[in-house]
Amino acid sequence: MLVYFFILALLCSLSIFFVKRKEVTNILLVLFLIGQTALSYYAYISIDQTDSLFFKFEPIGILFSWVLNLLSYTSVYYSRIYLKQHSNSVRQESIYYGLLILLIAAMTGAYFAENMAILWVCIEATTLFVAGLIYHDRSKIAIEAAWKYLFITSIGVAIAFIGILFLSIVSGESNFTGFNFGNIVLLAKEIDPLVIKIAFVLVLTGFSAKMGVFPLYSAAIDAHTVAPPPVSAFISTTLMNVGFLGIFRVYQIVAQTDAIGWANNVLMLAGILSVFLATIQLLRIKHFKRMFAFSSLEHMGIVCIGIAVGGIGYYAAILHLVFHSLVKAGMFYQIARVNNTFNSYWIKDSGNYMKISPVDSLLVILSLVLITAIPPSGLFVTEFLVFKAMFLNDNIYLAILALFLLTIILFVITRKILHLLFAPQPDDYSVKPSVDSNISLIPVLILFALSVYLVIFPPPVISELIYSAIGLLK
Amino acid sequence: MDYVFIITFAVTLVLFSLFERVKKFIYLISLQGVLLFGIALVNLLHIYTLELVFILLETIVVKSVVIPLFLMKMMKHNQLKRVHEVHVPVFYSIVITTFLILGSFLLSSYVNIPKLHTRIFAIGFASLLFGIYFIIIHKNIFSHLIGYLIIENGIFLFSVGIGSQMPVLVGLAILLDILIGILIIGIFVNKVKDRFNSIDIAMLSQLKD
Amino acid sequence: MLFDMTAIGIALALVLSILFPGIIAIVKAKTAGRKPPSILQPLYDVIRLFRKGTIYSSTTSIIFQLAPLVYAASVATALLFIPYFGGPGIFSFDGDFVFFAYLLGIGKFMMIIGAMDTGSGFEGMGANREAFYSLLIEPAFFLIMGSLALVTNHVSFLELFSALHLNTHLSYLVISVAVFVLVYITMVENNRLPVDDPRTHLELTMVHEVMVLDNSGFDLAIIHIASWMKFIIFGTIIANFLIPVLISIYIKIALFVGVQVAFAVVVGLLESFRARNKIAKNPQWILAMSSLAIIVFLTTLIITSKLILN
Repeated sequence: MLVYFFILALLCSLSIFFVKRKEVTNILLVLFLIGQTALSYYAYISIDQTDSLFFKFEPIGILFSWVLNLLSYTSVYYSRIYLKQHSNSVRQESIYYGLLILLIAAMTGAYFAENMAILWVCIEATTLFVAGLIYHDRSKIAIEAAWKYLFITSIGVAIAFIGILFLSIVSGESNFTGFNFGNIVLLAKEIDPLVIKIAFVLVLTGFSAKMGVFPLYSAAIDAHTVAPPPVSAFISTTLMNVGFLGIFRVYQIVAQTDAIGWANNVLMLAGILSVFLATIQLLRIKHFKRMFAFSSLEHMGIVCIGIAVGGIGYYAAILHLVFHSLVKAGMFYQIARVNNTFNSYWIKDSGNYMKISPVDSLLVILSLVLITAIPPSGLFVTEFLVFKAMFLNDNIYLAILALFLLTIILFVITRKILHLLFAPQPDDYSVKPSVDSNISLIPVLILFALSVYLVIFPPPVISELIYSAIGLLK
Repeated sequence: MDYVFIITFAVTLVLFSLFERVKKFIYLISLQGVLLFGIALVNLLHIYTLELVFILLETIVVKSVVIPLFLMKMMKHNQLKRVHEVHVPVFYSIVITTFLILGSFLLSSYVNIPKLHTRIFAIGFASLLFGIYFIIIHKNIFSHLIGYLIIENGIFLFSVGIGSQMPVLVGLAILLDILIGILIIGIFVNKVKDRFNSIDIAMLSQLKD
Repeated sequence: MLFDMTAIGIALALVLSILFPGIIAIVKAKTAGRKPPSILQPLYDVIRLFRKGTIYSSTTSIIFQLAPLVYAASVATALLFIPYFGGPGIFSFDGDFVFFAYLLGIGKFMMIIGAMDTGSGFEGMGANREAFYSLLIEPAFFLIMGSLALVTNHVSFLELFSALHLNTHLSYLVISVAVFVLVYITMVENNRLPVDDPRTHLELTMVHEVMVLDNSGFDLAIIHIASWMKFIIFGTIIANFLIPVLISIYIKIALFVGVQVAFAVVVGLLESFRARNKIAKNPQWILAMSSLAIIVFLTTLIITSKLILN
């Protein structure tokens, strides 16, 4: 089934590249999105079945693909608005949409890849497509960000490939299933503990560029700054889920061996350092999109901590990813609207937004509440569970440190957002008639509402998926 | 037998740190492709024809013909200076490279992992480390691409050393991915040259807080 | 019998050493399309120098007068250490290659302090460079000899070369890289082209020639002769690498002459087709030889199973 999906994606994208007509683009986009929805549904009804030789519909992949599907609709919607305002040519537009479709397809492939090498291939493919999207506005700064993202991530992912090779050492002889995740998990106990440790560190280092945690987080931060907001929304959410999935797969393999304690320590270190670095950087933040990027760094750090503490932490970490995806994507869509008023992402250029655009401001306040994990935010529940697990696991000092850092982050982000809302307007600012209709607020509102709704009335299917995703870890 | 190729590969790493001309870098990349073919051929002799053809395609055709030709084209397009500037004097680079090679061989003799060919692991490890070092010391992004290629060669050596045979389909996907990646990186090098009139990495420093 | 062979070898080496610079000059003239000089032209030049008187600067001391003599004597003595045709040199003992290397070192040291003795800025600069290059090339020589010692389990020239078997693929590699490195060492030791251009007339870029600016007459003549002999010494070492042990003595002699002439031709060709390195780039090129020698050493570690890899 996935093969057909990829063929559909390739056909749609190539037609958009070459036909370069708006009507065709629109039809193909809708066609592709429907195809993707159908695939997400098909994945759920054929759960745990192998598909197209190298793929398997695993619970965690299904969950992430739902999130991706939802965000694909919103991102395409906001891309249309963004391109209407910023695009110069039809050609540029068709490249944008073509790459967007390929990116979504590659991420879907990564979610469902059963073969570790194919997982790697999909992840590397997302890098290439995202680099093209970052380069969208053709400015000098876009070249710089795209180059950095492409180069650092390519090297990181190449290093991760070595880790995957090491894991395959145990089943190297068997030709066809050698790289299959299920196969490696079964044989994991036979792998030399040293090899497992090396592999885990290499994979964590490599895919950290994708997931946006310490050590290779910097490329993703620069990419956020420059990319069009709908693409930033992808980089910050579904793409980070891809990176997480890469690390999580190897973590599941490590969990079968005695090296698990050691791996937990490494993950805990990466998580705490991510939160710490995010705090340091946020203290001197001057740019809204960078602020959101560092906020993503912080949340990914919390996810790492959640995985590291284990127990209820596993559940919380995956749920955290889902909620974070919904909220952060909404924030990036919203900041694009703010940018339309101020024509700048710099914090110093903004102010008095409450007067200028009260409805938008309400959404900004809502996003502030949600991202800083203040109830009723879904992130509050997941963070609460992570810290509960930390206290239960005798990680009290680290928990206190992390809570302290989170408090600082809460303070900084609140301060900057309040500056946007209530600070006196900059002197050279002239009010521009807002070009956005309020209809485009609705998708953001839906995402935010969903992140609250899901935590108050959690549908059983999500918990089931998460519990079966972490089934291997017990 | 494959020791001859391995040692020659080590020599190419030293030459990478000795030479300063772009053209010689490209020749060395091409030579490395041939050496990789030699190493793979000796170690994977028992494999089937289809896989052999694939490895031939991967090493000889792609690594030692297609990519160097592409690099040549880039070199002409960007009118690269003959000599590339480095952060570390060549003199010290040679010392460091030598110790990298020596160290990775000595280290590998202590590695005791069944099914792992440590001789290939050693040179792959040296190649990986040297590639990273090469990227660090060079000041322009074309050389960074060369460093990335050295790293990729190192990873190819790892996969030979582990003796893992992927299905040809997967291998093909990986090869395609890497090839497209290199092409896109190359295109970005051209774009940087067009926009900034230089491929010095110092140009790319606007993005910061 | 063996002693006779050594005597023949030394005599042959001395004769060849006279022809060596002539051959180089002929090759260079041919490749440049000029009319070649007589093969004995360098000999005529030296004879002319012998007929001239020697002039000593009033600022120099006894060291300056002593230096050329010690230099020539050390090189001549070094000639006696090398084995010819599988027989021992005049002197042969365990570790003689170390003695050999430092014998050449003594001569060089005397030349350096002799150059310093003149008090000339140019000569001091030349001496400085000469000392630096010798310092850099020394590890390469010892690593090559040490690698051979490791392969053969012997520590004298004679046993080293007679125990050297070309039996594995790797030893072919070792031999070829070792010969390459030795050719380069020869070029550095004799201050030939990639490192130093003997034809240059700019003192600032000279290395060896600038050191002997103040020498004249007899002193200059014996310095020239010593550097010819140095070529032959390294040529003989390379010949020992290449000539198989178990063949008849006449073929060995023919091969010996052949290798020496070929070596001279190679030097001539190298000098014709290579530009001199920038002075600033010299150290890294010389160091690269040591680096290659380390890789040879690594290879011998693998050959001798000191380094076990699977």
